[in-house]
Amino acid sequence: MCGMCEIFGGGEHWANTAVPSAPGNGRQQRYAHIAIANRLLRRFRLELRDFEGRSFTLSSPTGSTVLIRTFPAVWKEAEAMLGVELDPLTLFALDGELTV
Amino acid sequence: MSSAYERIPVTVLTGFLGSGKSTLLSDILTGEVATDTAVLVNEFGAVGLDHLLIREVDSQTVLLDNGCVCCSIKSELKEALLSLFSKRARGEVPPFSRVVLETTGIATPAPIMATLLADPLVCCHYVLSSTITMIDAVNGAFQMEKHPEWTAQVTAADRIVISKSDLASEEEVRHLVSAAGKLNPAATCLIRKGAALLVDARPGERSDVVTLHQLLMETVDPLDLVRRIGADRSAKQNEFAFRAIDSAIGNKLNHRVAADAAAVQAFCLEFDESLDWSPFMLWLTMVLHRHGDKILRIKGILALSGSDSPVVLHAVQHLVHPLLHLSAWPDNDRRTRIVFITEGITHAQIEDSYRGFQKFLDEAVA
Repeated sequence: MCGMCEIFGGGEHWANTAVPSAPGNGRQQRYAHIAIANRLLRRFRLELRDFEGRSFTLSSPTGSTVLIRTFPAVWKEAEAMLGVELDPLTLFALDGELTV
Repeated sequence: MSSAYERIPVTVLTGFLGSGKSTLLSDILTGEVATDTAVLVNEFGAVGLDHLLIREVDSQTVLLDNGCVCCSIKSELKEALLSLFSKRARGEVPPFSRVVLETTGIATPAPIMATLLADPLVCCHYVLSSTITMIDAVNGAFQMEKHPEWTAQVTAADRIVISKSDLASEEEVRHLVSAAGKLNPAATCLIRKGAALLVDARPGERSDVVTLHQLLMETVDPLDLVRRIGADRSAKQNEFAFRAIDSAIGNKLNHRVAADAAAVQAFCLEFDESLDWSPFMLWLTMVLHRHGDKILRIKGILALSGSDSPVVLHAVQHLVHPLLHLSAWPDNDRRTRIVFITEGITHAQIEDSYRGFQKFLDEAVA
């Protein structure tokens, strides 16, 4: 593993699991995960990107960028950047609106 | 013995103080099973005694004393496991093919599972096989009322074993089985009968007689949960929430039951449609990130879009086990069914949150 970039980080995490017989290989399904996460994150002006298929970068509009290993850590870092909690039990209204 | 590169199954044996963990271990570890098993015994206190009670055992017994394995000596557990693996690989200890970890009576299992599931070194060499929780039939009701660790141990269990049933009345045992089943419908519940046998405590299930060796050596069948959901559905309409228990011991249990009624509850989410893995996974990571300490347990079978075979999901608090892909559905019911055991989070909150997240994603792309 590269000590500088943690390039091997997160590969074995359960959230990186791909559905074996679903369309697309593991890498393509990973991009689909990221695209869906960005539907939410872009509402907060954050953007998630893949990093070498093993990690992620999360960026804010001010240029702050962090390297992240797993999806659970995405929400932790997003909360740190935004200074607010992203609580899924109160964030999503049944009509599809966000309640921040 | 398995090869040096196979992952060694670890059985976590937990249960409150005096619930009969060491006695069970002593009864299990006889003959060939004993020589093939390494035992880690954890005791809280300066002088460890439990390892002396595991009599006539040829297995490797390592004492983790003077601290609780789930907190103060968590790193010692990791070191002990890695040291054991290293010695086994070098031939410095007799070969063994499984490990049993007996925790202290006041340990909460989640941090132990964190070491087994999430530590990058430990999880390369060991795999969590099952968690067995002992319940004392005589003192279980009192412990349930007084000690939150008891609840944590029961909710984390794959198998619950009720000990000392011969010292308690049938009614006491029946109510303990009922209370444990409502706290953790995902676990099988067994009652010790005599020295070597366990019987299924819930009528209508497989009602098999299980030997102590089977208890230790067999991994948990993920389809047991599916069978149990099916059995419970007809009676309880998918809700396993606490209800008043009315009887002599029931009065004692009621304090705890009433106190926890609003707090600990178990319920089953069902989806007729296939789940899209990406949104479900993202939603679950959000829920566990923010509320993992209140999600005591998740266990379910998932029908995923694009896949003909089901996936078994299993989580304890923040920790999710590696997903298990089954080769085929066990029966004709091919819906997603997920049991949640939560503390202070309701069925409606979880279901509304997921439906709201799905709706948000649909609106966001439109």
